This record gives sequence, structure tokens and C-alpha cells, in this order.
Amino acid sequence: MKRANDFVVGLTMLIGAAIIVAATLWVKQADFGRDQAIVTARFRDVGGVRIGTPVVIRGVRAGKIEAMELSDSAFVLARMSLDPEADLPVDAVVLLNESSLFGEWQATIMSRDAVGRDPDVVRQISETSRGGDVLPGATLPDIARLTAVAGRIAGDVASVAERVQVAFDEQAARDLRLSVRNFSELSTILAQTVREQSNNMTTMSADVRGGVQSLVRSAELLRAVAERVDSSTTRGEVRRIVDDAAEAARQLRETSRRLVGISEQLGRSQGKLESFLATSDSIAQKINSGNGSLGLMINDPTLYRNADSVLRQLSVLLADVQKNPRRYISLRIF
Amino acid sequence: MTAAQGITSLGRWGRERVEGMGRSGRFIGYTLVGARDVSTWWPQTTLHARELGVRSLPIAMYIALFTGIVLSLLASYSFTGAVPLYFVGTLVEKTITMELAPVLTGLALAGRVGANIAAELGTMRVTEQVDALETLAYDPYAYLVVPRVLSGTIMFPVVVGLAMVVGILAGWMASIALLGISSEEFLKGLRLFFTTFDVRYGLVKSASFGTAVTWIGCMQGLSARGGAQGVGQAATSAVVYSAVMILILDAFWAVVWLLGRTP
Repeated sequence: MKRANDFVVGLTMLIGAAIIVAATLWVKQADFGRDQAIVTARFRDVGGVRIGTPVVIRGVRAGKIEAMELSDSAFVLARMSLDPEADLPVDAVVLLNESSLFGEWQATIMSRDAVGRDPDVVRQISETSRGGDVLPGATLPDIARLTAVAGRIAGDVASVAERVQVAFDEQAARDLRLSVRNFSELSTILAQTVREQSNNMTTMSADVRGGVQSLVRSAELLRAVAERVDSSTTRGEVRRIVDDAAEAARQLRETSRRLVGISEQLGRSQGKLESFLATSDSIAQKINSGNGSLGLMINDPTLYRNADSVLRQLSVLLADVQKNPRRYISLRIF
Repeated sequence: MTAAQGITSLGRWGRERVEGMGRSGRFIGYTLVGARDVSTWWPQTTLHARELGVRSLPIAMYIALFTGIVLSLLASYSFTGAVPLYFVGTLVEKTITMELAPVLTGLALAGRVGANIAAELGTMRVTEQVDALETLAYDPYAYLVVPRVLSGTIMFPVVVGLAMVVGILAGWMASIALLGISSEEFLKGLRLFFTTFDVRYGLVKSASFGTAVTWIGCMQGLSARGGAQGVGQAATSAVVYSAVMILILDAFWAVVWLLGRTP
């Protein structure tokens, strides 16, 4: 019985210890009996990295941080065990950064060209580059530092807001309210205008649509005309029309030529008329001035009176002749 | 009540408290003295180790199984919004390993082991078997107390260690089956903040629990007076004091080992 107790207790202890140790090693991803490539990197500061932090190459876990120790000149040397099949990038550097918002860190091995142009990172890599087998490294700011920066920014914003609050007095508030009200009215008007313009646009669209439809109809008519022309061509109607048009043009040219002749004759007649008018004007001037027989006749009232007297005497003579024809007329045949 | 009687009552209360501390100290001292008698306690150790440890495995596994399942569900219930679900693995690992497996197993074993020891030794006390041992020149501390305390100290970490494994496995399975978390995600969270310190912390704490539970059970059992009533009272006291001591030690180790420590 005592031996049985010893065996059972011993077996339980062995199994328990074996299970606990095996589970721990499995969770720790310990590699026994497998060669690992050891790479060392130099950093100014390792941030939140600790032993066991994963090492990542191109996003794939390739190893872990095995050890860290303080080095000379305030550097930290981190020793990483890597999968021997993992190829390091050309001119490799190591960046320590948080892999999530929850305090997880990782070491990323990448090419120096892929680091980017962050001046702080570039400076860290420059400081830790000393050649040899030790890779240069840099540490990206963690969330706490970023949060601290954000906190400072928030403080600045609060300060600005406070100043704005000081500048934003009651008068400014009233002005702002008035501006808002005006803006509201303006927006109402604008909305109404837009509505009207929209209606106009709708009407214009309808008109355009109607125009387009008319064009379509015209095009159809034109097509019909073209078809008719096309069909008429075969019956010689077009030729006749063209011939008629040519004849009409020829007649027009003849008429035009005649018109040109008439125009020239009119020009000549105009010259003659102008000469006639000048002569007439000269005659009229002479008449008005009382020169010549006609001038005297027109301007001298004596002639008029003599003539009037003659006419009156002739009238009396005629009346006497009618009354006493035998006194004046003696008709004898033989 | 006169002033003199009041002062006397206060003095009696103080003396009883100091007497209790003195009895405990004297008990520890006798136990350490008895530990020197290896030939007496060594043959008894595996017997008690089997009784206290091996036979406690089923109840410990049962508790760990359901604790792991409930913990994973509780974690997924709590981790809404920005917290990724793979942290279920982290929470299950940390909580099971460092707290729930040692404490819940310790409390369960306080009921089973502490009451068992107190009842057994109390019965021996009230039936004068302990007096008989002394008459036969056996040191009752070397024969009765040391092997039990040693067995509890050794076997509690074994039981708790297996409870850790079972609890995490249960949480893992529950996460896959009930929460839709992939095995890779759970393992990612499990490994994220895992350190061997977590296991060491839980095992050392459970060893202290084992020492405390067995020692309190022995002390209460050997202090039993009267008949069966005294034995029952001793068993009850053993369970209560063991539970209280487990929680005190839990806080003690947290303050001593976790305070100011970075992972």
C-alpha cells in the first residue's frame, strides 16, 4: 500500500510537472535543438520592448528578442533570434514600434530605403550606424508620447478657444446672430431663386426638347426632300431647274447690263438737266433783274397795262364786230 | 458593571487574542521541531500526498473547466468596441494562471482538505489517540502534522498547475466553439503577454495556500475539545480560517510580488 501511494504520488507529480513545463514552453514558443540566426541591433532607447517581443520581416513573424543589454554611450544592444531561413533585407535596419493600441511592441527589420523620411528616425538610425554586424535601429514614438503631444495640442486649442471666448463678446454674438439670420434669409431667397431657375431650366429643357423634336422633324423632312431630290434626279427635273436657273442668271446679267446703260444715260441726262437748270437759273436771274425783252415784259407794268388796254379794246371790237359784222366785213363774190 | 470589571474584561479579551497568537506560534515551533524527526514523518508523507493531492484532482479539474469557459465568455462580453477579441486569450491566461486557478482551487481544497484534516485529527484528539501517541513516545507533530503540511505544500502546486492547463484549454475550446474566435487569435492573445513569471507566481502562491490550509486544519483538529461537537466545530473553523488565510495570502503575494513590477 505504501509503495502504491509512493508510485501514484510520484507519477502525479511527474505528470503534473511535465504538463506544466511543456505547456509553458509551448506557449513561449521555445525552440529546442533548432539553430537560430542571431542578429544584434543597436538602439538609443527600446521603448516598451521586452524579452520575447516578436521580430517581424515584411509583416511575417521571423523571430523574437532574446536579450537586451545596455551598451556604451547610452546605447542598448538587442539580440534577436531569427528563423535561419529568413533573409534579411539589403542594408537592413530595425524599427521598434507598437503593433497595436494596447501596448504590444514589435521589432521590424526592413531596408533602410523603406524607413521613410521621418527626421527623428533618420537621426536615430544615423546615430546607431556604426558598421560591423550590428544593425542600426530606431524607436518610433509610442502611443503615450503621441497622446502627450495630442494633449499639448489640445491645451493649445483650449487656449485659443479661451481667447476666442474673450474676443467673442455679447456684441459679436449679436452680430453673429444677425449674420446668421441674414444668412438664413439669404439662403431662403437663394433657395427660391434656385427653385425658379430650376423651373426656368425645366421650361428651357422642355423648349430645347421641343426644338430638338422640331429639328428631328426637319431632319426627317430634309431627308424626305433629299429622297425626293434623289428620285427627281432620275427624271431630269433638276437639270431643267438648273437650266432655268442658268437662263434666269443670264437674263439677270443682261438686265443688269441694261440697267448699267440706263444708269449711264441717266447720268448724262442729269448733266444736261443740271446745265438746263443752270441756264434757266441764269435766265431767271436776268428776268428778275429786268434785263432783256422778257425781263422788261415781266418787270415793266407798262406792257401789262398796254396789253390789258389792247385786250379790252379788242374785246370791245369783237363785241362790235359781232353786233355789226357788215361794218367790218364786206363779202362779195363777184 | 463596575470600572474594575470593565478593565478586567478588556484585559481578558486582550490576553485571549495574544494567547491565540501564542498558540499559533507555539504550534509552528513544535511543527518545525517535529520536522527534524524525518524517520517519523517521511513514511507518512506519500500517504497524505495521495489523499490531499491526487484525490483532489477531480474537483480541481471540474472547477478549472467551468472557470475557463465562463471566463472566456465573460471576456468576450466585456471586450466590446475597440478591444480586439484576441485579448480573450490574454485575459484567460493571466486570470487563470495568476489568480483563479490558485485561489479557487485553494478554496475548494480548503473545504475538502482542511475539513478532512481537522475532523480526522479532532477525532484523534477527542478519542485520546493523540495522547496515546505521546504515551508511545511519538511526537504527534512529527507523526500527524509535518507529513500533512508537507504533502499540502507539495501537492497543491501540482493540482493548481494542472488546473491552470485545464482552465486555459477550456477557455480556448469555449472561445472557438462559442465565441467564433479562431485558434490563431486565441493563441495570439495567449502568447501576447505570457511570461513564465505568471506560472511561477501562481505555483508559489498555491504552495503557500497548501501550507496554510493543512497547517490550519492540523491546528484546529489538534485543538478540538469535547466530543463530536468539538470535532465539527474544529472542522468548521478550519474551513473558515483556511478560506480567510487564502485570501490574506493572495493579497500578500500581490503586494509583495506584483506591486511595482513590470512584465
